[in-house]
Amino acid sequence: MTATKESYLQSMLHGELTWVVGEQYVQTDDADKLGHSIDYYWVPEVWHDRGKELTPPDFVVHPGSAKEVAEVLRIANNYKIPVVPWGGGSGSQGGALPIHGGIILDMKRMNRVLSVDTVSLTATVEVGINTQHMEWELEKRGFSSMHLPASIACATLGGFIAHRGTGVLSTKYGKMEDMIMSLEVVTPTGEIINTLPVPRHASGPDLTQLFLGSEGTLGVVTKATIKIHPIPECRKFHAFLFPTMHAAMAAGAKIMTSRLRPCVIRLYDEPETAHLIKRVLGIDREGAYLVFGFDGQEEMVDLEMKQACALCREQNPEDLGTEMGQTWWDNRYKFFYPPYMFHMPQAFGTLDTVATFANIEKVYWAMKNVVTENFPQARFIGHFSHWYEWGCMLYARFIIDEPPTDPREAIALYNKIWDMAIRAAIREGGVINEHHGVGLKLGRMMKDLYGPAFKVLQDVKAALDPNNIMNPGKMGFPGGNR
Amino acid sequence: MHISKHLDVISACRFCFMCRHLSPVGNVTCREADTPRGRALMLDRIRMEPSRLAQPSYLESLYAAELSAACRTHCVSHYDEARLLLAARRDAVEAGLAPQAVKELAEELLQVKFKIEGKGEVLYYLDPYAAKQPEILKSFRAIAGDCAILSGGDTGKALLTLGFADEAENVAAKFRDAVKSSGCKMLVTSCPASYHALTNDFPLEGVKVKHSSEFLKEKGLSSGKPGKAYYLDSDYLKNYCGNLTAPRELLATAGYELKPFGTNREESYACGEGAVVYDRLNPQIAEKLSARIRELVDDAKSDVLVTASPYTRHVLKLHQPDLNVVSLEEAILKAKG
Repeated sequence: MTATKESYLQSMLHGELTWVVGEQYVQTDDADKLGHSIDYYWVPEVWHDRGKELTPPDFVVHPGSAKEVAEVLRIANNYKIPVVPWGGGSGSQGGALPIHGGIILDMKRMNRVLSVDTVSLTATVEVGINTQHMEWELEKRGFSSMHLPASIACATLGGFIAHRGTGVLSTKYGKMEDMIMSLEVVTPTGEIINTLPVPRHASGPDLTQLFLGSEGTLGVVTKATIKIHPIPECRKFHAFLFPTMHAAMAAGAKIMTSRLRPCVIRLYDEPETAHLIKRVLGIDREGAYLVFGFDGQEEMVDLEMKQACALCREQNPEDLGTEMGQTWWDNRYKFFYPPYMFHMPQAFGTLDTVATFANIEKVYWAMKNVVTENFPQARFIGHFSHWYEWGCMLYARFIIDEPPTDPREAIALYNKIWDMAIRAAIREGGVINEHHGVGLKLGRMMKDLYGPAFKVLQDVKAALDPNNIMNPGKMGFPGGNR
Repeated sequence: MHISKHLDVISACRFCFMCRHLSPVGNVTCREADTPRGRALMLDRIRMEPSRLAQPSYLESLYAAELSAACRTHCVSHYDEARLLLAARRDAVEAGLAPQAVKELAEELLQVKFKIEGKGEVLYYLDPYAAKQPEILKSFRAIAGDCAILSGGDTGKALLTLGFADEAENVAAKFRDAVKSSGCKMLVTSCPASYHALTNDFPLEGVKVKHSSEFLKEKGLSSGKPGKAYYLDSDYLKNYCGNLTAPRELLATAGYELKPFGTNREESYACGEGAVVYDRLNPQIAEKLSARIRELVDDAKSDVLVTASPYTRHVLKLHQPDLNVVSLEEAILKAKG
């Protein structure tokens, strides 16, 4: 081996990192680097599929405390090398990929539920915890986080915090930004700070919300206090089949604007009803499938359910009853397991966005028209999964069964669909993303989305991270220094 | 390559994260390479470029897998990553790439000297882990009465999980000869891995094979009031043989008030039992797996943890000596008073 500057540096860095976290918690082997060079983003998957090498990290470091995180960040600042926080690695936007090499800060060692406040119903947790493990631990104590996403078993709490994740019960219990009380954060320069202990206050701008969704570009979240909930007495579901997505949307919007409090509403457009609902749930019918649920005390659940069903019936749907609603709930994660999930050689992407009820169908049609008119080889399906008092989230997907075999061509096509579909959504009042984040995939469109306001975010980034070590090249921020 | 027979598994698991929470080793080492996805990615690389099988870190990860098969049980499509890993280990062995520690352990496992002692209608197979813990056989005899004892080595299952398929078959043939020479019609073992081996990998012709939980349950024991107990599932009984009920029913019949262990029924609490001799090859990880059990115990001082696996009992006794861990046989004997 030639004694290059790089190899001296490699050795010095290795020594410094092991001094902080211990020998066994600094990995440099090929096996572990491979796992950290691919996440759930389609582009690295296709590169891997075609036998191409992906940029690996130089080091995988597993810190055991905020203090160790702070020490690692100080070292990284000294050498001006990138640091990319890594939770479960299941992000779909390339947000945790070490595209400039450097240090992967794998947070999974910080995985404890530290305390549960049974008076205020909050829990303080290290964010490297797998969210299914967290949920199981809370359930054993008689509570639930009510954060039940399809990726519950894959991702860490920190991952959800990083990109403002959401779960299937978000309509009642909120997204990650509604679930968090406060955060402990290690800033890029290595200070350990805490945000205010409560999420509602008039004590200046809210720092908790600044770090939520920052995708590891503004620091490393190490601890979070989250809201927890009693296990509800019951949870009930009902499903309807509407002749059109438009009629179903009217019913869903009415449920929300009449201020009923469903824990979940999900509406599948006609193509997704025909494809996925048929395949996963075995309901082979034409139309738009709408399912919703309520949870809590049974008397209230029954009352709200009755009201919601009455609102739906105004649109003359086919009543699929409670059983077809319960079946959906029982199989809600099945959609994401192989072979039900889309997979190679297919090219596929989740074009998720959110808009008001006034705009959401316009967004849907704008995206759908852009995809189907410009890319005849692509199918477009969608469902509306997270509902608010003012609008809902569109989980649209494009699928190309036979993309070009050349990976560069396939990726170019893939990126073009994203560019056109997301820009169409923005034009109609949508945003880049609702709960998967921006990452590497969508960073180039942040300026389009924010306009002049993006400079505020850039200034915040520059002020907090003067050496640009934190997850460079993500969220539309500049690439690395190396 | 043997892994090429499992391309469906590689294809399904390489980009799938849905079972990572059930990766016992990945959960304690925190390494991506120790998760089903991480291992499938590696094997995909090896599929594309077989020379990568020689990479030391790839081999290390292949042999760090605990083969609990919790992922297969969890997966809605039951993709069999454990079988894929066994194929990969076989590829490594046949290519002469097995790590030195694996070769040495295999050499030791080949040195079987099966012998039969005592008489009885039932032949009890004393596996190597039960042989290290005389309490298990002593308790079994106290409950079941006299039986012939077969001992002298592993059935071949350990070699099979290390990737030495031919050698495993040779050892299994010797085992079969020993069983045949006993003239027994029923073989009982406390070892779930051996039970799986003798009912699946190396079946015994004309001999009924039972796990001790099934055998003791059929004996119809009287019940006492031994108090509460936590049953730790065996990977082999639960994930390989689909036998969740026999040990629980046995304990319930004996009068135990069974409490759910840990936070869930999906995670493996067997400390590497799936890889049969895991503690020999990966003692540090086995210790970490045992520490996970300790972390999940409600009350380390008073809880009685019952395991149907001599392997699991051994690892927990070794690394967590203050936990009250007993075999199924000891628990039943205690209940009898």
